[in-house]
Amino acid sequence: MSAILRLSGLRKAYAGVRALDGVSFEVEAGSITGLIGPNGSGKSTAIDCISGFQKLDAGTVTLAGTDITGRPAHHIARTGLMRTFQTVRVYERLSLADNLAIAAQQFDPATWVDEFLRTRRYRQAVEASERRARELVELIGLERYYNAEAGILSYGQKKLVALAAALMPHPKIVVLDEPVAGVNPSRIREIEVALQQLNEAGETFLIVEHNVEFITTLCHRVIVLEQGRKLTEGTAAEIHTDPRVLEAYLGMTPEMAEAEMRGAA
Amino acid sequence: MKLALAFLGALAFAALPFLTSSNYIIGVGISALTFTVAAAALNLVYGFAGLLSFAQLGFWGIGGYAAALTVVTFGGTFWEGVLWAALLNGAIALVVGYPTLRTNRHAFVISTLTFALLVTLIARDWVSLTRGPLGIPNLPSPEAFGQRFDTPAKFYWIAWAFAVATIAFLYALCSSRIGRTLVAIKQNEPLTRAQGISPMPYKLAAFAVGAAITGAAGGVYCFELRIIDPTFLDFYYMQTFLIIVIIGGTGSFWGVIAAGIALSALPEVLRFSEDLRMIIYGVILVAAMFVMPSGVAGWLRERRLTAMREALR
Repeated sequence: MSAILRLSGLRKAYAGVRALDGVSFEVEAGSITGLIGPNGSGKSTAIDCISGFQKLDAGTVTLAGTDITGRPAHHIARTGLMRTFQTVRVYERLSLADNLAIAAQQFDPATWVDEFLRTRRYRQAVEASERRARELVELIGLERYYNAEAGILSYGQKKLVALAAALMPHPKIVVLDEPVAGVNPSRIREIEVALQQLNEAGETFLIVEHNVEFITTLCHRVIVLEQGRKLTEGTAAEIHTDPRVLEAYLGMTPEMAEAEMRGAA
Repeated sequence: MKLALAFLGALAFAALPFLTSSNYIIGVGISALTFTVAAAALNLVYGFAGLLSFAQLGFWGIGGYAAALTVVTFGGTFWEGVLWAALLNGAIALVVGYPTLRTNRHAFVISTLTFALLVTLIARDWVSLTRGPLGIPNLPSPEAFGQRFDTPAKFYWIAWAFAVATIAFLYALCSSRIGRTLVAIKQNEPLTRAQGISPMPYKLAAFAVGAAITGAAGGVYCFELRIIDPTFLDFYYMQTFLIIVIIGGTGSFWGVIAAGIALSALPEVLRFSEDLRMIIYGVILVAAMFVMPSGVAGWLRERRLTAMREALR
């Protein structure tokens, strides 16, 4: 496997606070990689800098061999990195069908001239986009809302729509910012299954999440941030038992964690 | 269905000169058509792209002056005048829009308002070009194919053809992917950026097209008045366009067209009571806003959504 996303020496400060202080890691193609850390550890800043929503002070971001450091957000999206947002973002007053179609439209070759003349290129692009949209809507189980406005959906359903939209153009990597925060626990399992299926079909994910259980069941590799630095990195099992992680993130000693796990079992 | 209705509506409007010989009614018809076009252009900018632009008043005025000066000062025809009105406004909108569209929402509103006031100032004070407060009277009737459009009924055809052509163009634009993308940018700009869409070219294009069409409408309308002076930049016009868009429902294409026709006619219908006319007009507007805060189209949409929520329960 090779790295699809490569970050090296990311630095970012806000008014003197070092949000990112030399963070480097890689995301393997075809993997699900988790990014965890306590509040204020720099996870969201990392995502915003990678996706072009914030400017880095230093460091480089490489996506599939292309240097995307400092490029505008729409440019990075076109290079193949799609992201979702912590506070869910969908087009509230557009149908699911339109929400998904817009997510893919920058990626098909049809121009407005093609649309005006209804050329074959335009018709094929629309057909392909609709096929993909139906497929994804089925995957997230919202078929019956296909023509409904996204605004009528619940918060958890909107998170699913945001996920589907990010997947629309077959991106090289999907970055999910807290995909299950605020989602009803009964639906978290559904999202887990959907992500696993997508991953088996070849999608690469980088997931920022607070829900440690969700991350450890799903991710092949986990990166732990603390105060803008990479604390450690490893497989889910390694992370779960790493005393530094437990202390920094969960605020407990290994003995306490062990006791808790015994209690849970 | 909507298109069939629009087609019938256009035909019905074409029939107006056959139904009445009253120049007064035909004059109201001409106003209704040109105001509706200007309102539809504002709807593209405000309703679709979400940019509350008071610059439309400036574009309307520049359009009027450009058309009048093309004919009177530069010896061109009415048609060339309207064309120049559109082109000049499109170019000015690109220059004005490029910096102002980078600012935030509030700064944009203030900048566009300032632009409109600036145009008013130029119209009044650049006397060597605009002839100042006296304006340019006796604008000649348009001519084409050896025909002089010198009666209200004949001029009505020009206004009608202009309205049908521009509304058809705007409809094609608003119902295309470009229109859909504008709506998406208005609803959630960061999300469009995350989806590979650069918002700036879309906003700039909407602003420029809106300006060009508003300018052309101003060009047509000043030839209906036969005179242009600084009162052509009266805030009354901006207010009318904005009221039409808000009552029709921002972002609803046909809602705004219907409201344009209805609201241009309403003050005239109310002439049965000359003293109370504008008061009644105001009361109707306020009542409409109370009952339908998102306009007629918004109200219909709410009903549809409620029905949908019920159906999906």
